[in-house]
Amino acid sequence: MLPASILQTNTEVFRPGKNAGLRITRIRGLPRENMKAIRVQHTGGPEVMELVDVPLPQPKATEALVQVSVAGVNSIDAQFRDGRLRTPLPFIPGQEGAGVVTALGSRAKMVKVGDRVAWSGTLGSYAEYVAGPEEHLVPVPASITDDQAAAAMMHGLTAHYLVNDAHKLKAGETALVHAAAGGVGLLVVQLAHAIGARVIGTVSSEEKGKVAREAGADEVIVFTHQDFEAEVKRLTGGKGVEVVYDGVGQATFEKNLNVMRLRGMLVLYGMSSGPVPPVDPAKLSEKGSLYMARTTLAHFTATREELIARTSALFRLIAEGRLNVRIAKQYPLAEAAEAHRDLEARKTTGKLLLIPSPNQIRRSLGKS
Amino acid sequence: MKAIQVKQPGGPEAMELVELPVPQPKAREAVVRLTASGVNFIDVYNREGRYKVPLPFVLGQEGAGTVTAVAADVKSVKPGDRVAWTSVLGSYAEYAALPADRLVPIPAGVTDQQAAAAMLQAMTAHYLAHDSYPLKRDQTALVHAAAGGVGLLLTQMAHNIGARVIATVSTEEKAKLAREAGADEVILYTQADFEVETKRLTSGKGVDVVYDSVGKTTFEKGLNILRPRGMMVLYGGSSGAVPAFDPITLTQKGSLFLTRPSLGHYIATQEELTARSGAVFGMMAAGTLKLRIEHLYPLAEAQRAHRELEGRKTTGKLLLIP
Repeated sequence: MLPASILQTNTEVFRPGKNAGLRITRIRGLPRENMKAIRVQHTGGPEVMELVDVPLPQPKATEALVQVSVAGVNSIDAQFRDGRLRTPLPFIPGQEGAGVVTALGSRAKMVKVGDRVAWSGTLGSYAEYVAGPEEHLVPVPASITDDQAAAAMMHGLTAHYLVNDAHKLKAGETALVHAAAGGVGLLVVQLAHAIGARVIGTVSSEEKGKVAREAGADEVIVFTHQDFEAEVKRLTGGKGVEVVYDGVGQATFEKNLNVMRLRGMLVLYGMSSGPVPPVDPAKLSEKGSLYMARTTLAHFTATREELIARTSALFRLIAEGRLNVRIAKQYPLAEAAEAHRDLEARKTTGKLLLIPSPNQIRRSLGKS
Repeated sequence: MKAIQVKQPGGPEAMELVELPVPQPKAREAVVRLTASGVNFIDVYNREGRYKVPLPFVLGQEGAGTVTAVAADVKSVKPGDRVAWTSVLGSYAEYAALPADRLVPIPAGVTDQQAAAAMLQAMTAHYLAHDSYPLKRDQTALVHAAAGGVGLLLTQMAHNIGARVIATVSTEEKAKLAREAGADEVILYTQADFEVETKRLTSGKGVDVVYDSVGKTTFEKGLNILRPRGMMVLYGGSSGAVPAFDPITLTQKGSLFLTRPSLGHYIATQEELTARSGAVFGMMAAGTLKLRIEHLYPLAEAQRAHRELEGRKTTGKLLLIP
């Protein structure tokens, strides 16, 4: 998280040719004095995100300054933007990205200037530069692009811990993956399929069903016109599934309990439909000695060792082509509001990325 | 035959010693002459009418004895076999007709009394330590009510696995029992706050698993002493049922896991029932699992057995001997 002192420096809405009044702190060895960033002064809709000129953040002792080449757009960003999640105002949104280390704090030693790195959980990534704790930065191997790395950090690491740790999925097991064409869902489907599990995915449209099938879903339930409880029971011969991976929450909770086999596991990792209401533990017993977990990524990347091990495993899967991180669209940093509108309209499938330097957009798109 | 029957739910006096015809085996049943029946809290709940059972009924859900007759379609047991069972009603009696697929063989190294005493509590301890959360060497488990029926067996199994056991008990006397069973640390929750103590004993790290049969009074604090990604195994509610809770609590306290198991789901198939009872009997025969059978009552004194069980004056298992 960015220190409040950086967020509260004297800044102003960026207007070309009107930089008078900006207080610029000169940081020795840094390439520039100020940078473009998206700033939220007041919480609200996408329009509260303004492109502004702010001084370059200065890394604290154990921080590094990174030039951001790609920032990932996540629903958590929208939750901070509209105030569902709280952080001191004003702030620069964005938790995830990839880029190159350009400066180090006095005691930073895990990374060095010039390293390609990626991160998640560092607020302030919707900017040309971000200063963050060096222990959040993971090396990006030459075999994957910054786009892939940035896109993989939150969703990819989440998918990785879901199938490997929250419930260690095994070949021959059956997993129900809700929102199987969503950011995390599509990656869970691929990883579960690669493990040799049978994957039943739920999606909202035929179009998304096709995407989920391509990712490896064995069965797809279009929940807008099929009851997923009845369908899962039918597809499993009444036995139910070993595990449910659920980022939907409220809308799916009750029925989830009816589609698990005895001693099955419900992993709740999000609540896109709203929070699950209070749960009577006796229900878990009545429905078959069930398990439930309510997880969050931070607890699965809590130590530097685990963060590095998990990202290395993930980047290897991407580099070997076994995990396809689908990138839906790139936006210039200035169009962050449009990216949020698209995210919230749920009309995209795959990752949305912000690109601080317009040249990089051309380059990346040219490649694909 | 003699049997203890409940005609109207109520206190211990609702149990009457009656004379009933010896049951005949129906399809898939075997008739067993009982040598021991276990007394459990579930019997009290049935007697009181907390669970609805058609009246009148013969009480008791656990026992051991010898098969005397089988239905023509029964192949898994034969007259003369020593068997034990749990979770089938009708064992406070000289004879019981039981589903043959719920009967498990008693090996030579285990007595009928030991077998009857083990079925519910030791199989519960077994699934808790080996399946609900497969405990590993060097992990740390908090066992609530460690001198209780299941607690004392669970402590032994956890200790045998090589886990570190932190036990909670109510008295010094029970602390001694828990230590003898293998508890590494004992917290007298009547004198010390188990949350504070467990944090101290684990240097703030917390435990891998909490086994909790107490429920209402211990649940919240139990979540506070789990390490990140730790497991809460809630298997009873002796202090009352845990109220509905917000699942986000599990996230806030470290991406925790919760399960609320019951024995029936861990002996659901005949294969699993036989495997589990076999494992438990094996431990008993090898002397690595000790059951405390402290109180034997003639069948006719079932009322006294219930009074003593409910008065919580007993430690160890109560058996009725028909």
